[in-house]
Amino acid sequence: MPALNICLASDFFYPNTGGVEAHLYSLSQCLLRRGHKVIIITHAYGKRTGVRYLSDGLKVYYIPGLVIYNQATLPTVFGNFPIFRYIFIREQIQVIHGHGSLSPFCHEAILHARTMGLKACFTDHSLFGFADTGSIITNKMLKFTLSDIDHVICVSHTSKENTVLRAALNPLNVSAIPNAIVGSLLKPDPTAADPEWITIVVACRLVYRKGIDLLVAIIPRICHQYPRVKFIIGGDGPRRIDLEQMRESYVLQDRVELLGAVQAADIHKLLVRGNIFLNTSLTEAFCIGIVEAACCGLLVVTTKVGGVPEVLPEHIIKFAAPEEDDLVRAVSLAIETVHVRDQRPELDPFVLHETVKRMYSWMDVAVRTERVYYSIMKVEAPPLIERLRRYYGCGQWAGKLFCILAAIDFLLYLFLEWAFPRQNIEIAPRFDHKRYVEKAVWRH
Amino acid sequence: MNFSHIDLLSFKSSPSPQKPLTLAPWRKLLYIKQEYPDNYVDESFLENLQKNVNFQSFDYFALCRESTVITEHISSVLIFVAVFIQLYHDHLDPHLLVSLGSAFVFLGCIIWEWCLARPAPPMHKSFLKTAAVFFLTLLGLSPILRTLTQGISSDSIWAMSVCLFITNILFFDYSSDLTYSIQFPGSVALNAAVFACVLLASRLSTNLHAFGFMSFALEWFALFPIFRRYLKRIMPTGHLIQTLLLVAITFVLFWPISRAIAVLYMIAVFSLTFICPIWLIFIQRYKNEIHGPWDEARPKVHRFRSPQR
Repeated sequence: MPALNICLASDFFYPNTGGVEAHLYSLSQCLLRRGHKVIIITHAYGKRTGVRYLSDGLKVYYIPGLVIYNQATLPTVFGNFPIFRYIFIREQIQVIHGHGSLSPFCHEAILHARTMGLKACFTDHSLFGFADTGSIITNKMLKFTLSDIDHVICVSHTSKENTVLRAALNPLNVSAIPNAIVGSLLKPDPTAADPEWITIVVACRLVYRKGIDLLVAIIPRICHQYPRVKFIIGGDGPRRIDLEQMRESYVLQDRVELLGAVQAADIHKLLVRGNIFLNTSLTEAFCIGIVEAACCGLLVVTTKVGGVPEVLPEHIIKFAAPEEDDLVRAVSLAIETVHVRDQRPELDPFVLHETVKRMYSWMDVAVRTERVYYSIMKVEAPPLIERLRRYYGCGQWAGKLFCILAAIDFLLYLFLEWAFPRQNIEIAPRFDHKRYVEKAVWRH
Repeated sequence: MNFSHIDLLSFKSSPSPQKPLTLAPWRKLLYIKQEYPDNYVDESFLENLQKNVNFQSFDYFALCRESTVITEHISSVLIFVAVFIQLYHDHLDPHLLVSLGSAFVFLGCIIWEWCLARPAPPMHKSFLKTAAVFFLTLLGLSPILRTLTQGISSDSIWAMSVCLFITNILFFDYSSDLTYSIQFPGSVALNAAVFACVLLASRLSTNLHAFGFMSFALEWFALFPIFRRYLKRIMPTGHLIQTLLLVAITFVLFWPISRAIAVLYMIAVFSLTFICPIWLIFIQRYKNEIHGPWDEARPKVHRFRSPQR
């Protein structure tokens, strides 16, 4: 199979932290190792602008863009077309892979790529409802972008069902490929945990969607019930104040530790300090946090929402309904399990680590994603009239609006081809990954 | 849309052409490697999808009865407008208005105190004192209020008043049964009404007219809705009689002003009470609400538990 030139586009990339960011980085590393050329397009983060090289010759374009909310840029529809076209031609891109339905950069890259006749696919990382205003707008935007796309990837089967409904897609055109973990970086370390206490670790952004209300409700009850249990909470967000208030009013300062934001590199250090990992999310497409925790040898207690039941087998994980009483029950069960853990060989931290490591690896994700790329390379690019027909089917009013947008985008493309001819754009030299690996003697 | 270009079999995770019939059944799990392509669509796809779980079928007569809240408020706004027109043409004596208003406030106080006080917070003893101070202040301010917007032309005043009364009707808090405070969006409605009254007061001839009108406005838009909600809660029949009374008063007051409006009003009340409920029940068949495992869960937490120290 020939090597491909792939461009991953999303607003969310390092130095920002989160699931999408880790996914982009790990996927691109594995694709590079498989001989493909990969570049990433994201928006500028503060002083980090222009072109940067990350390890293994991963080229990242930090394009200036106005950030409006939660690291998402202002959606301009056409604003970035000239620079996107320049990059696509310069890097001889064949496949554009957008990530995250809340990222305008991703939507724009896919639209322009289709106008230029390139292959495009999209990965959805989160779940959305159908009833609230925010979801309705996002879903409409998603429908626009996904009307003309070669393939869609979702991180779980539940996420696939959700995306198929939101964007009215053919389910055969949607693949479920999970996230993964770097198992070698998440080794259990039984010496790190405090033997005097049973430690429950929570690591997530402290926002409503992560179920902080539930956390606030159960911590005092657990602390009251089990005097040898303490909590360590990593992460920051608007709901931190609720936790601080709870800690104050129940005088739990010495049993509830609030760490604030935790760097991605330090997450392992945080996880191994605990015996139990607690996740109280209200909605979750995949939940990489519980997989990482299980890989570190922790017992996992989680709310049974979204794609969570697909992620890990029942003997590792304790499920609870998103209710205060049921969560208390599940956490109590986990605490009692910690006491008898020595008699349960399948719950030995190292056994757990090996089990989970075998379930998820980025190389597997890369191979499956690559398969998607090759399959869409076989598809013929549709003519403009067919693209317009697809956009027209989006709705009574939206369909016409989307057609106008697509037509303007096409005219803009013709203008750019005339004003800045293709042959005047310099082709970027290829980063020789093989030679880099041979020369880099420090690599193991 | 035509998506047949994606070949299902080309996605097979590992080629096993010799045993295609002995595949283990597909499971909705991510942690096991399955002999199915990543884009495989199982029969169980979307089986957790639920439609219209919150469907609530309405009873026609219950809807008719509930719609009286809207009828009442529209009627009360129209009565207020009619009172203004009568004052404007000097057909109504401001003394009569002030004494009627005061009498009703007094009556309301008595009802609150002796008949209805049980489920409501007890009224403060100094209420009458507060009311007296308030209305005296209003009396003192009425020359200022009357001349505040005198420079604006009458046409602008009429147009703005109409807009403000429409705002009042749109933002009025029809659903809640709060009887002792006003919350958003009800506060927007009250503000719009008071603003309209200040505008209209500038068209009246004497300070006494302005005072009578303003005091009536405050009683009518701030206190009367509270009484209506209260009556609806404790005495549904009384509420129904009150609605009929208000509709009748509106019709009688508007008949001499404009017969067209009076007739139009009656038609509006009729369709609001009897036709709109049919319409609502009819359009319910187009309700299409989807729920599934991807919905954000509602956390169930025991609130109102006092912190143990």
